[in-house]
Amino acid sequence: MKDNRPIPKEIGRANIHDLSILWQDGHQSVYSARYLRMRCPCAGCVDEWTGRRVLKSADVSEDISPSSLEVVGRYALRVHWSDGHSHGIYTFESLRNLCLCDACKSSLQEFEHST
Amino acid sequence: MVETDKNTVLEALKVVQDPDLGRDIVSLGFVKEVKLCGGVVAVTVELTTPACPVKDQLREQVKQVLLELPGINEANVEMTAQVRSAMPDNQSLLPGVKNIVPVGSGKGGVGKSTVSVNLALSLAQSGARVGLMDADIYGPSIPTLLGISTKPGMGSHNQIIPVSQYDLKVISMGFFLSEEKAAIWRGPMLDKMMSQFLGGVEWGELDYLVIDLPPGTGDIQLSLCQKVPLTGAVVVSTPQDVALNVAKKAILMFNQLNTPILGIVENMSHHECPHCGERDDIFGTGGGSRVSREMDIPFLGEIPLAKNIREYSDQGKPVVLADADSEQSKAFIQVAESLASQISIRAMSGAFEQDIKVSF
Repeated sequence: MKDNRPIPKEIGRANIHDLSILWQDGHQSVYSARYLRMRCPCAGCVDEWTGRRVLKSADVSEDISPSSLEVVGRYALRVHWSDGHSHGIYTFESLRNLCLCDACKSSLQEFEHST
Repeated sequence: MVETDKNTVLEALKVVQDPDLGRDIVSLGFVKEVKLCGGVVAVTVELTTPACPVKDQLREQVKQVLLELPGINEANVEMTAQVRSAMPDNQSLLPGVKNIVPVGSGKGGVGKSTVSVNLALSLAQSGARVGLMDADIYGPSIPTLLGISTKPGMGSHNQIIPVSQYDLKVISMGFFLSEEKAAIWRGPMLDKMMSQFLGGVEWGELDYLVIDLPPGTGDIQLSLCQKVPLTGAVVVSTPQDVALNVAKKAILMFNQLNTPILGIVENMSHHECPHCGERDDIFGTGGGSRVSREMDIPFLGEIPLAKNIREYSDQGKPVVLADADSEQSKAFIQVAESLASQISIRAMSGAFEQDIKVSF
């Protein structure tokens, strides 16, 4: 089975609020806590059927930060947030797609221009 | 005359290749002990599984090579095994268990439980330490298949002690459900059951933990794949297209959860007439190997239908024990050896992802 699915190599803090992932393929991603928390994929934050975000910006405190996290099986990350929320399971694939580094942003732009 | 010493022995043995791993047994570190005394040499070769399909071949090859060495007129070769773990090191839920192998299917009725039981037994018979978890809460048939009438006991720290039967350590929902009560279970209870069966049982040191999943793709499969990183799944199907199309769904599910697929087993593959030996492909043929090619997963083998399978099931003695020389038993043993090979290949080549380091 061909396997080019993104897998993290090291997961840690970038600073108090931010999450850093070094991927197995050498790519480096940094996610701000608020950015990630707002994109929680759990059924309480996103409508299961429509995919529309239910979680509102006002619901998340300005100093939200990750308290701890754990790897789920072989495919995802569960974050325990400072506001007590911990239902969200972020697949590695979705985390990679959420990467906002220049390289990922530009390839997204290329895609948008070519279509 | 060149004198034979330990180094010449090791040099000579470099011609012996492990066919699955594609390297010679010396560079693989399999040659553990070399003893020379007079014209006698004794060598210990440690394989990655006692269920290695080419164990006898390798032993013969090593013996031949040794006998050709100058001054040697007797060669004793002992084959041992140390099962390698093909799971990330940070798997802490079951620290003594080296490999966790769920057996799934797209739909019911393909004989998944029978396959699980006979595979587990074949591995145990080869000398491995094997556990069997019956997570099929909707139809927990494993106690019946194994003729188990006792219940598990409780150990220290409230751990459940699995029942020992035919050299297997067994846990089943069937032990905890009375026959009269139908099991209507909702999501959170399934999750709790899975946690209990994994972390709350004294499994001890196991080379392989085989898990008989309920058919399909649902809460239990998801829960299992979330709780502990698995070595890889086995998918069982019959040759019918209908079964195979649904088996593909199970394969896709495991793919989505980054769970490797160790292979597909085609059960009820064909019938062989006990009188004239004529082969009858009752459910069609070739489907399992076709799906294996299409989805790029190993084909572990075919298990033929047997007339007496029902009798053995009812008697509580699986076919690999009740009729070890039958076509069915031989097929199960071959599939178990293929499975053990796949696990060894994964463990030795580091094909699975490295540990994920979390520093938080």
